[in-house]
Amino acid sequence: MEIETLITMILIFGVCIGGFVYSLYRSSKED
Amino acid sequence: MDKKESFSRWGIIFAGLGMAVGTGNLWRFPRIVSQYGGGAFMIAWIIFLIIWALPLLTIELAIGKKTRLGVIGSFGKMIGQNFAWMGTFVAFVTAAITFYYTVVTGWCVKYFFATCFQGLIRKEPIQYWEVFTSSWEPIGFHFVAICIGCSIIYFGVVKGIERANKILIPSLLILLLIAVVRSLTLPGAIQGLNFLFSPNLSQLGDPKLWLNALSQAAWSTGAGWGLMLTYGVYSRKNENPLLTSTTLGFGNNFVSLLAAITVIPTVFSFFAGQNMAQERVLDVMRQGNEGLTFKWLPILFSKIPSGSFFLALFFLALCFAAFSSLIAQLEMISRIFIDSGLTRKRAVTIVGIGCFLLGIPSALSIGFFNNQDWVWGLGLMVSGAFFIILVLKVGPRKFREEIISSPEHKIKLGRGFDYLVTFILPIQLIAVLLWWFWDSYSADPGNWMKIFTTASVGTVLFQWAVAITVFIVFNKVITKKIFREKNGN
Repeated sequence: MEIETLITMILIFGVCIGGFVYSLYRSSKED
Repeated sequence: MDKKESFSRWGIIFAGLGMAVGTGNLWRFPRIVSQYGGGAFMIAWIIFLIIWALPLLTIELAIGKKTRLGVIGSFGKMIGQNFAWMGTFVAFVTAAITFYYTVVTGWCVKYFFATCFQGLIRKEPIQYWEVFTSSWEPIGFHFVAICIGCSIIYFGVVKGIERANKILIPSLLILLLIAVVRSLTLPGAIQGLNFLFSPNLSQLGDPKLWLNALSQAAWSTGAGWGLMLTYGVYSRKNENPLLTSTTLGFGNNFVSLLAAITVIPTVFSFFAGQNMAQERVLDVMRQGNEGLTFKWLPILFSKIPSGSFFLALFFLALCFAAFSSLIAQLEMISRIFIDSGLTRKRAVTIVGIGCFLLGIPSALSIGFFNNQDWVWGLGLMVSGAFFIILVLKVGPRKFREEIISSPEHKIKLGRGFDYLVTFILPIQLIAVLLWWFWDSYSADPGNWMKIFTTASVGTVLFQWAVAITVFIVFNKVITKKIFREKNGN
Protein backbone atom coordinates (compact mmCIF):
# COMPACT_ATOMS: atom_id res chain seq x y z
CA MET A 1 0.00 0.00 0.00
CA GLU A 2 1.21 3.48 -0.83
CA ILE A 3 2.26 5.59 2.14
CA GLU A 4 -0.05 8.49 1.27
CA THR A 5 -2.97 6.06 1.04
CA LEU A 6 -2.14 4.69 4.47
CA ILE A 7 -1.89 8.17 6.01
CA THR A 8 -5.19 9.29 4.44
CA MET A 9 -6.87 6.09 5.57
CA ILE A 10 -5.66 6.50 9.14
CA LEU A 11 -6.73 10.16 9.16
CA ILE A 12 -10.22 9.53 7.80
CA PHE A 13 -10.86 6.52 10.03
CA GLY A 14 -9.25 8.38 12.93
CA VAL A 15 -11.59 11.36 12.56
CA CYS A 16 -14.68 9.14 12.41
CA ILE A 17 -13.76 6.70 15.19
CA GLY A 18 -12.22 9.43 17.32
CA GLY A 19 -15.29 11.67 16.98
CA PHE A 20 -17.60 8.78 17.78
CA VAL A 21 -15.71 7.52 20.83
CA TYR A 22 -14.98 10.97 22.23
CA SER A 23 -18.58 12.19 22.01
CA LEU A 24 -19.83 8.90 23.46
CA TYR A 25 -17.37 9.27 26.34
CA ARG A 26 -18.36 12.89 26.98
CA SER A 27 -22.06 12.10 26.90
CA SER A 28 -21.51 9.36 29.49
CA LYS A 29 -19.91 12.04 31.70
CA GLU A 30 -23.06 14.17 31.38
CA ASP A 31 -25.15 11.55 33.18
CA MET B 1 -49.13 7.07 25.76
CA ASP B 2 -46.59 8.36 23.25
CA LYS B 3 -45.50 11.51 24.96
CA LYS B 4 -44.81 9.66 28.20
CA GLU B 5 -42.49 7.25 26.42
CA SER B 6 -38.84 8.17 26.26
CA PHE B 7 -35.68 6.51 25.03
CA SER B 8 -33.09 5.30 27.51
CA ARG B 9 -29.54 6.72 27.20
CA TRP B 10 -28.40 3.83 25.01
CA GLY B 11 -31.81 3.62 23.41
CA ILE B 12 -31.51 7.00 21.70
CA ILE B 13 -27.96 6.23 20.59
CA PHE B 14 -28.99 2.94 18.99
CA ALA B 15 -32.18 4.43 17.57
CA GLY B 16 -30.25 7.45 16.25
CA LEU B 17 -27.56 5.23 14.74
CA GLY B 18 -30.30 3.11 13.24
CA MET B 19 -31.92 6.22 11.80
CA ALA B 20 -28.63 7.40 10.29
CA VAL B 21 -27.20 4.08 9.20
CA GLY B 22 -29.22 2.87 6.27
CA THR B 23 -28.91 1.88 2.67
CA GLY B 24 -27.26 5.27 2.16
CA ASN B 25 -24.19 3.79 3.81
CA LEU B 26 -24.10 0.39 2.18
CA TRP B 27 -25.78 0.97 -1.15
CA ARG B 28 -25.21 4.62 -1.99
CA PHE B 29 -21.89 5.57 -0.42
CA PRO B 30 -19.61 3.00 -2.16
CA ARG B 31 -21.17 3.96 -5.50
CA ILE B 32 -20.94 7.73 -4.98
CA VAL B 33 -17.43 7.62 -3.53
CA SER B 34 -16.15 5.66 -6.52
CA GLN B 35 -18.02 7.89 -8.95
CA TYR B 36 -16.36 11.02 -7.60
CA GLY B 37 -12.79 9.91 -7.21
CA GLY B 38 -12.46 8.12 -3.88
CA GLY B 39 -10.13 10.05 -1.59
CA ALA B 40 -11.01 13.54 -2.85
CA PHE B 41 -14.69 12.86 -2.27
CA MET B 42 -13.94 11.65 1.27
CA ILE B 43 -12.39 14.99 2.15
CA ALA B 44 -15.46 16.92 0.98
CA TRP B 45 -17.73 14.38 2.69
CA ILE B 46 -15.98 14.77 6.08
CA ILE B 47 -16.08 18.57 5.73
CA PHE B 48 -19.84 18.49 5.10
CA LEU B 49 -20.32 16.12 8.03
CA ILE B 50 -18.81 18.75 10.31
CA ILE B 51 -20.24 21.93 8.81
CA TRP B 52 -23.59 20.65 7.57
CA ALA B 53 -24.78 17.36 9.06
CA LEU B 54 -23.70 17.74 12.69
CA PRO B 55 -25.15 21.25 13.17
CA LEU B 56 -28.43 20.19 11.54
CA LEU B 57 -28.73 17.01 13.59
CA THR B 58 -28.08 19.03 16.75
CA ILE B 59 -30.68 21.64 15.74
CA GLU B 60 -33.26 18.95 14.96
CA LEU B 61 -32.75 17.03 18.19
CA ALA B 62 -32.93 20.24 20.21
CA ILE B 63 -36.18 21.28 18.51
CA GLY B 64 -37.84 17.90 19.11
CA LYS B 65 -36.71 17.89 22.72
CA LYS B 66 -38.05 21.42 23.24
CA THR B 67 -41.42 21.20 21.47
CA ARG B 68 -42.24 17.51 21.99
CA LEU B 69 -44.08 17.73 18.66
CA GLY B 70 -43.47 16.23 15.21
CA VAL B 71 -41.98 18.19 12.32
CA ILE B 72 -45.00 20.30 11.31
CA GLY B 73 -46.03 21.07 14.87
CA SER B 74 -42.46 21.99 15.77
CA PHE B 75 -42.09 24.56 12.99
CA GLY B 76 -45.44 26.05 13.96
CA LYS B 77 -44.63 26.15 17.65
CA MET B 78 -41.15 27.62 17.15
CA ILE B 79 -41.81 30.27 14.49
CA GLY B 80 -45.58 30.53 14.14
CA GLN B 81 -48.31 28.63 12.38
CA ASN B 82 -47.89 30.75 9.22
CA PHE B 83 -44.49 29.14 8.72
CA ALA B 84 -45.58 25.59 9.48
CA TRP B 85 -45.61 24.91 5.71
CA MET B 86 -41.81 24.70 5.97
CA GLY B 87 -42.24 21.77 8.33
CA THR B 88 -44.77 20.29 5.93
CA PHE B 89 -42.20 20.50 3.14
CA VAL B 90 -39.53 18.87 5.31
CA ALA B 91 -41.95 16.08 6.22
CA PHE B 92 -43.01 15.67 2.59
CA VAL B 93 -39.42 15.38 1.33
CA THR B 94 -38.78 12.60 3.84
CA ALA B 95 -42.10 10.95 3.02
CA ALA B 96 -41.33 11.13 -0.72
CA ILE B 97 -37.99 9.43 -0.03
CA THR B 98 -39.78 6.84 2.12
CA PHE B 99 -42.10 5.95 -0.78
CA TYR B 100 -39.18 4.65 -2.82
CA TYR B 101 -37.01 3.69 0.16
CA THR B 102 -39.51 0.97 1.01
CA VAL B 103 -39.04 -0.32 -2.54
CA VAL B 104 -35.26 -0.53 -1.99
CA THR B 105 -35.86 -2.26 1.34
CA GLY B 106 -38.06 -4.74 -0.50
CA TRP B 107 -35.28 -5.39 -3.05
CA CYS B 108 -32.89 -6.11 -0.16
CA VAL B 109 -35.32 -8.60 1.40
CA LYS B 110 -35.86 -10.27 -1.97
CA TYR B 111 -32.12 -10.55 -2.67
CA PHE B 112 -31.39 -11.93 0.77
CA PHE B 113 -33.95 -14.70 0.27
CA ALA B 114 -32.89 -15.24 -3.34
CA THR B 115 -29.29 -15.73 -2.18
CA CYS B 116 -30.28 -18.13 0.61
CA PHE B 117 -32.98 -20.18 -1.10
CA GLN B 118 -32.87 -19.63 -4.86
CA GLY B 119 -29.14 -19.96 -5.50
CA LEU B 120 -28.87 -16.39 -6.81
CA ILE B 121 -25.11 -16.73 -7.03
CA ARG B 122 -25.41 -19.46 -9.66
CA LYS B 123 -27.80 -17.46 -11.84
CA GLU B 124 -27.06 -14.70 -14.34
CA PRO B 125 -27.47 -11.67 -12.02
CA ILE B 126 -28.00 -9.00 -14.67
CA GLN B 127 -30.72 -11.01 -16.34
CA TYR B 128 -32.12 -11.97 -12.92
CA TRP B 129 -32.38 -8.28 -12.03
CA GLU B 130 -34.12 -7.42 -15.31
CA VAL B 131 -36.66 -10.22 -14.84
CA PHE B 132 -37.25 -9.28 -11.20
CA THR B 133 -37.79 -5.57 -11.84
CA SER B 134 -40.03 -6.13 -14.84
CA SER B 135 -42.33 -8.40 -12.81
CA TRP B 136 -44.87 -7.57 -10.10
CA GLU B 137 -42.56 -8.96 -7.42
CA PRO B 138 -41.09 -5.59 -6.37
CA ILE B 139 -44.60 -4.50 -5.33
CA GLY B 140 -44.95 -7.62 -3.17
CA PHE B 141 -41.61 -7.05 -1.44
CA HIS B 142 -42.37 -3.33 -1.11
CA PHE B 143 -45.52 -4.41 0.76
CA VAL B 144 -43.55 -6.83 2.96
CA ALA B 145 -41.06 -4.06 3.86
CA ILE B 146 -43.87 -1.70 4.87
CA CYS B 147 -45.62 -4.38 6.93
CA ILE B 148 -42.42 -5.17 8.88
CA GLY B 149 -41.58 -1.47 9.40
CA CYS B 150 -45.10 -0.58 10.53
CA SER B 151 -45.28 -3.60 12.86
CA ILE B 152 -42.18 -2.35 14.68
CA ILE B 153 -43.37 1.22 15.20
CA TYR B 154 -46.85 -0.03 16.11
CA PHE B 155 -45.34 -1.26 19.42
CA GLY B 156 -44.22 2.28 20.26
CA VAL B 157 -40.93 3.89 21.12
CA VAL B 158 -39.45 1.65 23.79
CA LYS B 159 -40.92 -1.75 22.95
CA GLY B 160 -40.80 -1.20 19.20
CA ILE B 161 -38.17 1.26 17.95
CA GLU B 162 -35.62 1.02 20.78
CA ARG B 163 -35.79 -2.75 21.06
CA ALA B 164 -35.53 -3.29 17.30
CA ASN B 165 -32.52 -0.99 16.98
CA LYS B 166 -30.74 -2.63 19.90
CA ILE B 167 -30.84 -5.84 17.85
CA LEU B 168 -30.38 -4.42 14.35
CA ILE B 169 -27.39 -2.13 14.90
CA PRO B 170 -25.01 -4.48 16.79
CA SER B 171 -25.94 -7.29 14.34
CA LEU B 172 -25.25 -5.00 11.41
CA LEU B 173 -21.84 -4.04 12.78
CA ILE B 174 -20.87 -7.69 13.34
CA LEU B 175 -21.98 -8.63 9.81
CA LEU B 176 -20.07 -5.74 8.32
CA LEU B 177 -16.90 -6.50 10.24
CA ILE B 178 -16.99 -10.11 8.99
CA ALA B 179 -17.50 -8.82 5.44
CA VAL B 180 -14.62 -6.34 5.83
CA VAL B 181 -12.24 -9.09 6.91
CA ARG B 182 -13.25 -11.21 3.90
CA SER B 183 -12.95 -8.28 1.50
CA LEU B 184 -9.52 -7.16 2.71
CA THR B 185 -8.07 -10.66 2.53
CA LEU B 186 -8.95 -11.05 -1.16
CA PRO B 187 -6.05 -10.91 -3.64
CA GLY B 188 -5.74 -7.46 -5.20
CA ALA B 189 -7.92 -5.83 -2.54
CA ILE B 190 -5.12 -3.38 -1.83
CA GLN B 191 -5.75 -1.68 -5.19
CA GLY B 192 -9.24 -0.89 -4.00
CA LEU B 193 -7.86 0.70 -0.85
CA ASN B 194 -5.37 2.69 -2.91
CA PHE B 195 -8.20 3.99 -5.07
CA LEU B 196 -10.41 4.73 -2.10
CA PHE B 197 -7.92 6.59 0.03
CA SER B 198 -5.57 8.28 -2.47
CA PRO B 199 -6.81 11.83 -2.75
CA ASN B 200 -6.49 13.37 -6.19
CA LEU B 201 -6.85 16.95 -5.02
CA SER B 202 -7.52 18.31 -8.54
CA GLN B 203 -10.93 16.59 -8.34
CA LEU B 204 -11.90 19.02 -5.58
CA GLY B 205 -12.49 21.56 -8.38
CA ASP B 206 -15.46 19.55 -9.66
CA PRO B 207 -18.75 21.11 -8.49
CA LYS B 208 -20.55 17.78 -8.77
CA LEU B 209 -18.17 16.32 -6.23
CA TRP B 210 -19.16 18.98 -3.68
CA LEU B 211 -22.84 18.76 -4.53
CA ASN B 212 -22.82 15.00 -4.12
CA ALA B 213 -20.73 15.18 -0.96
CA LEU B 214 -23.34 17.50 0.52
CA SER B 215 -26.19 15.34 -0.75
CA GLN B 216 -24.48 12.22 0.65
CA ALA B 217 -23.82 13.90 4.03
CA ALA B 218 -27.50 14.82 4.21
CA TRP B 219 -28.77 11.52 2.77
CA SER B 220 -26.65 9.28 4.89
CA THR B 221 -26.72 10.98 8.27
CA GLY B 222 -30.39 11.85 8.10
CA ALA B 223 -29.60 15.56 8.59
CA GLY B 224 -32.51 17.76 7.54
CA TRP B 225 -34.93 14.84 7.26
CA GLY B 226 -36.84 15.65 10.46
CA LEU B 227 -36.07 12.16 11.76
CA MET B 228 -33.79 13.30 14.56
CA LEU B 229 -36.39 15.91 15.46
CA THR B 230 -38.95 13.13 15.80
CA TYR B 231 -36.65 11.04 17.98
CA GLY B 232 -35.96 14.19 19.99
CA VAL B 233 -39.65 14.18 20.97
CA TYR B 234 -38.88 11.03 22.98
CA SER B 235 -35.50 12.12 24.35
CA ARG B 236 -34.71 12.34 28.05
CA LYS B 237 -34.95 15.72 29.78
CA ASN B 238 -31.18 15.90 30.33
CA GLU B 239 -30.24 14.76 26.82
CA ASN B 240 -27.39 16.82 25.38
CA PRO B 241 -28.33 17.30 21.69
CA LEU B 242 -24.81 18.30 20.75
CA LEU B 243 -23.12 15.17 22.08
CA THR B 244 -25.82 12.77 20.93
CA SER B 245 -25.79 14.18 17.40
CA THR B 246 -22.00 14.11 17.22
CA THR B 247 -21.98 10.47 18.30
CA LEU B 248 -24.51 9.59 15.62
CA GLY B 249 -22.84 11.60 12.86
CA PHE B 250 -19.37 10.14 13.34
CA GLY B 251 -20.76 6.65 14.01
CA ASN B 252 -22.69 6.83 10.77
CA ASN B 253 -19.63 7.84 8.76
CA PHE B 254 -17.63 5.02 10.34
CA VAL B 255 -20.23 2.53 9.09
CA SER B 256 -20.07 4.13 5.63
CA LEU B 257 -16.31 3.61 5.61
CA LEU B 258 -16.75 -0.04 6.60
CA ALA B 259 -19.21 -0.47 3.74
CA ALA B 260 -16.82 1.16 1.29
CA ILE B 261 -13.91 -1.06 2.32
CA THR B 262 -16.18 -4.07 1.93
CA VAL B 263 -17.47 -3.26 -1.54
CA ILE B 264 -14.66 -1.43 -3.34
CA PRO B 265 -11.74 -3.80 -2.61
CA THR B 266 -14.03 -6.73 -3.60
CA VAL B 267 -14.76 -5.04 -6.93
CA PHE B 268 -11.08 -4.32 -7.56
CA SER B 269 -10.06 -7.83 -6.52
CA PHE B 270 -12.50 -9.38 -8.98
CA PHE B 271 -11.43 -7.24 -11.92
CA ALA B 272 -7.74 -7.59 -11.10
CA GLY B 273 -8.28 -11.33 -11.65
CA GLN B 274 -9.83 -10.54 -15.04
CA ASN B 275 -6.92 -8.25 -15.98
CA MET B 276 -9.32 -5.41 -16.43
CA ALA B 277 -8.18 -1.78 -16.56
CA GLN B 278 -9.03 0.52 -13.66
CA GLU B 279 -11.24 2.67 -15.92
CA ARG B 280 -13.43 -0.33 -16.71
CA VAL B 281 -13.62 -1.16 -13.01
CA LEU B 282 -14.75 2.39 -12.35
CA ASP B 283 -17.38 2.13 -15.08
CA VAL B 284 -18.93 -0.75 -13.16
CA MET B 285 -18.72 1.16 -9.91
CA ARG B 286 -20.43 4.16 -11.50
CA GLN B 287 -23.52 2.21 -12.48
CA GLY B 288 -26.75 3.75 -11.28
CA ASN B 289 -28.74 3.24 -8.14
CA GLU B 290 -29.23 -0.44 -8.52
CA GLY B 291 -26.34 -1.40 -10.80
CA LEU B 292 -23.50 -2.02 -8.39
CA THR B 293 -25.35 -3.69 -5.55
CA PHE B 294 -27.95 -5.79 -7.29
CA LYS B 295 -26.23 -6.61 -10.58
CA TRP B 296 -22.52 -6.68 -9.92
CA LEU B 297 -22.14 -7.80 -6.31
CA PRO B 298 -23.73 -11.22 -6.99
CA ILE B 299 -21.23 -11.68 -9.86
CA LEU B 300 -18.32 -10.57 -7.69
CA PHE B 301 -19.27 -12.77 -4.76
CA SER B 302 -19.74 -15.77 -7.05
CA LYS B 303 -16.00 -15.65 -7.77
CA ILE B 304 -14.78 -15.74 -4.18
CA PRO B 305 -14.63 -18.78 -1.86
CA SER B 306 -17.85 -19.15 0.19
CA GLY B 307 -19.26 -16.34 -1.94
CA SER B 308 -22.87 -17.37 -1.45
CA PHE B 309 -22.49 -17.17 2.32
CA PHE B 310 -20.85 -13.75 2.18
CA LEU B 311 -23.38 -12.42 -0.33
CA ALA B 312 -26.22 -13.52 1.96
CA LEU B 313 -24.37 -11.84 4.82
CA PHE B 314 -24.08 -8.62 2.84
CA PHE B 315 -27.77 -8.56 1.88
CA LEU B 316 -28.76 -9.36 5.47
CA ALA B 317 -26.66 -6.40 6.63
CA LEU B 318 -28.34 -4.28 3.95
CA CYS B 319 -31.77 -5.41 5.20
CA PHE B 320 -30.87 -4.51 8.80
CA ALA B 321 -29.58 -1.10 7.74
CA ALA B 322 -32.64 -0.46 5.59
CA PHE B 323 -35.13 -1.39 8.30
CA SER B 324 -33.35 0.58 11.03
CA SER B 325 -33.78 3.73 8.90
CA LEU B 326 -37.20 2.86 7.54
CA ILE B 327 -38.72 2.65 11.01
CA ALA B 328 -37.42 6.17 11.75
CA GLN B 329 -39.02 7.45 8.54
CA LEU B 330 -42.33 5.75 9.22
CA GLU B 331 -42.27 7.07 12.79
CA MET B 332 -41.62 10.61 11.52
CA ILE B 333 -44.73 10.51 9.35
CA SER B 334 -46.83 8.73 12.00
CA ARG B 335 -45.83 11.30 14.63
CA ILE B 336 -47.48 14.03 12.55
CA PHE B 337 -50.76 12.11 12.52
CA ILE B 338 -50.43 11.40 16.26
CA ASP B 339 -49.95 15.15 16.82
CA SER B 340 -53.21 15.77 15.02
CA GLY B 341 -55.05 13.59 17.53
CA LEU B 342 -54.95 10.11 16.02
CA THR B 343 -54.07 7.05 18.07
CA ARG B 344 -50.76 5.37 17.23
CA LYS B 345 -52.60 2.36 15.85
CA ARG B 346 -54.64 4.45 13.43
CA ALA B 347 -51.70 6.68 12.47
CA VAL B 348 -49.48 3.70 11.68
CA THR B 349 -52.23 2.08 9.60
CA ILE B 350 -52.77 5.25 7.53
CA VAL B 351 -49.03 5.70 7.02
CA GLY B 352 -48.59 2.07 5.99
CA ILE B 353 -51.39 2.21 3.41
CA GLY B 354 -50.28 5.61 2.09
CA CYS B 355 -46.63 4.58 1.70
CA PHE B 356 -47.64 1.37 -0.03
CA LEU B 357 -49.84 3.12 -2.59
CA LEU B 358 -47.46 6.01 -3.25
CA GLY B 359 -44.47 3.69 -3.54
CA ILE B 360 -46.03 1.60 -6.32
CA PRO B 361 -44.83 3.85 -9.20
CA SER B 362 -41.21 3.50 -7.98
CA ALA B 363 -41.67 -0.26 -7.59
CA LEU B 364 -42.85 -0.52 -11.19
CA SER B 365 -40.53 1.93 -12.95
CA ILE B 366 -36.79 2.34 -12.40
CA GLY B 367 -36.97 5.63 -14.37
CA PHE B 368 -39.53 7.04 -11.96
CA PHE B 369 -37.54 5.66 -9.02
CA ASN B 370 -34.35 7.39 -10.20
CA ASN B 371 -36.22 10.64 -10.80
CA GLN B 372 -37.60 10.62 -7.25
CA ASP B 373 -34.19 9.76 -5.79
CA TRP B 374 -32.70 12.68 -7.70
CA VAL B 375 -35.42 15.23 -6.86
CA TRP B 376 -35.98 14.48 -3.18
CA GLY B 377 -32.38 13.49 -2.39
CA LEU B 378 -31.47 17.03 -3.41
CA GLY B 379 -34.64 18.30 -1.70
CA LEU B 380 -32.91 17.56 1.60
CA MET B 381 -30.84 20.69 0.98
CA VAL B 382 -34.04 22.76 0.99
CA SER B 383 -35.17 20.95 4.12
CA GLY B 384 -31.83 21.84 5.69
CA ALA B 385 -32.32 25.45 4.58
CA PHE B 386 -35.70 25.56 6.33
CA PHE B 387 -34.12 24.38 9.59
CA ILE B 388 -31.54 27.14 9.19
CA ILE B 389 -34.31 29.71 8.61
CA LEU B 390 -36.04 28.46 11.75
CA VAL B 391 -32.90 29.02 13.82
CA LEU B 392 -32.35 32.45 12.24
CA LYS B 393 -35.93 33.46 13.02
CA VAL B 394 -35.60 32.35 16.64
CA GLY B 395 -32.14 33.96 16.82
CA PRO B 396 -28.99 31.80 16.74
CA ARG B 397 -27.80 32.93 20.14
CA LYS B 398 -31.16 32.41 21.82
CA PHE B 399 -31.51 29.04 20.08
CA ARG B 400 -28.05 27.96 21.23
CA GLU B 401 -28.38 29.16 24.82
CA GLU B 402 -32.00 28.27 25.52
CA ILE B 403 -32.91 25.41 23.22
CA ILE B 404 -29.75 23.41 22.58
CA SER B 405 -28.03 23.92 25.93
CA SER B 406 -29.37 23.35 29.41
CA PRO B 407 -27.79 24.52 32.68
CA GLU B 408 -26.92 20.93 33.64
CA HIS B 409 -24.90 20.32 30.44
CA LYS B 410 -21.14 20.25 30.93
CA ILE B 411 -20.35 20.64 27.23
CA LYS B 412 -22.06 23.56 25.52
CA LEU B 413 -21.89 25.10 22.08
CA GLY B 414 -19.85 28.26 21.76
CA ARG B 415 -20.44 31.40 19.73
CA GLY B 416 -19.03 29.65 16.68
CA PHE B 417 -22.48 28.10 16.24
CA ASP B 418 -24.02 31.56 15.71
CA TYR B 419 -21.56 32.35 12.91
CA LEU B 420 -21.97 28.90 11.42
CA VAL B 421 -25.76 29.22 11.19
CA THR B 422 -25.77 32.88 10.19
CA PHE B 423 -23.05 32.81 7.56
CA ILE B 424 -21.38 29.51 6.77
CA LEU B 425 -24.43 27.25 6.37
CA PRO B 426 -26.39 29.68 4.13
CA ILE B 427 -23.31 30.59 2.08
CA GLN B 428 -22.30 26.97 1.46
CA LEU B 429 -25.86 26.11 0.48
CA ILE B 430 -26.20 28.99 -1.98
CA ALA B 431 -22.70 28.41 -3.38
CA VAL B 432 -23.30 24.71 -3.98
CA LEU B 433 -26.68 25.38 -5.59
CA LEU B 434 -25.36 28.12 -7.89
CA TRP B 435 -22.37 25.97 -8.78
CA TRP B 436 -24.71 23.13 -9.63
CA PHE B 437 -26.91 25.37 -11.82
CA TRP B 438 -23.88 26.68 -13.70
CA ASP B 439 -22.38 23.25 -14.18
CA SER B 440 -25.67 21.77 -15.41
CA TYR B 441 -26.19 24.66 -17.82
CA SER B 442 -22.63 24.38 -19.16
CA ALA B 443 -22.92 20.61 -19.62
CA ASP B 444 -26.25 20.63 -21.45
CA PRO B 445 -27.58 24.13 -22.23
CA GLY B 446 -30.48 22.75 -24.28
CA ASN B 447 -31.90 20.32 -21.73
CA TRP B 448 -30.85 21.45 -18.27
CA MET B 449 -34.23 23.02 -17.50
CA LYS B 450 -36.40 20.33 -19.07
CA ILE B 451 -39.06 19.24 -16.62
CA PHE B 452 -39.92 15.77 -17.87
CA THR B 453 -36.53 14.10 -17.71
CA THR B 454 -35.13 11.76 -15.08
CA ALA B 455 -32.34 13.99 -13.81
CA SER B 456 -32.25 17.69 -14.72
CA VAL B 457 -32.32 20.96 -12.81
CA GLY B 458 -35.73 21.64 -14.35
CA THR B 459 -37.42 18.54 -12.95
CA VAL B 460 -36.01 19.25 -9.49
CA LEU B 461 -37.10 22.90 -9.40
CA PHE B 462 -40.50 22.09 -10.86
CA GLN B 463 -41.32 19.40 -8.27
CA TRP B 464 -39.98 21.50 -5.39
CA ALA B 465 -42.02 24.49 -6.57
CA VAL B 466 -45.25 22.47 -6.88
CA ALA B 467 -44.81 21.03 -3.38
CA ILE B 468 -43.96 24.38 -1.78
CA THR B 469 -46.86 26.18 -3.51
CA VAL B 470 -49.36 23.55 -2.38
CA PHE B 471 -48.08 23.64 1.20
CA ILE B 472 -48.18 27.45 1.39
CA VAL B 473 -51.67 27.69 -0.13
CA PHE B 474 -53.11 24.93 2.07
CA ASN B 475 -51.01 25.70 5.16
CA LYS B 476 -53.96 26.53 7.40
CA VAL B 477 -55.92 23.48 6.28
CA ILE B 478 -52.98 21.08 6.69
CA THR B 479 -51.90 22.34 10.08
CA LYS B 480 -55.33 23.13 11.59
CA LYS B 481 -55.78 19.82 13.39
CA ILE B 482 -52.27 19.78 14.83
CA PHE B 483 -52.62 23.23 16.35
CA ARG B 484 -56.15 22.63 17.51
CA GLU B 485 -54.85 19.53 19.30
CA LYS B 486 -51.85 21.41 20.67
CA ASN B 487 -54.06 24.18 22.03
CA GLY B 488 -56.25 21.55 23.67
CA ASN B 489 -59.48 22.47 21.86
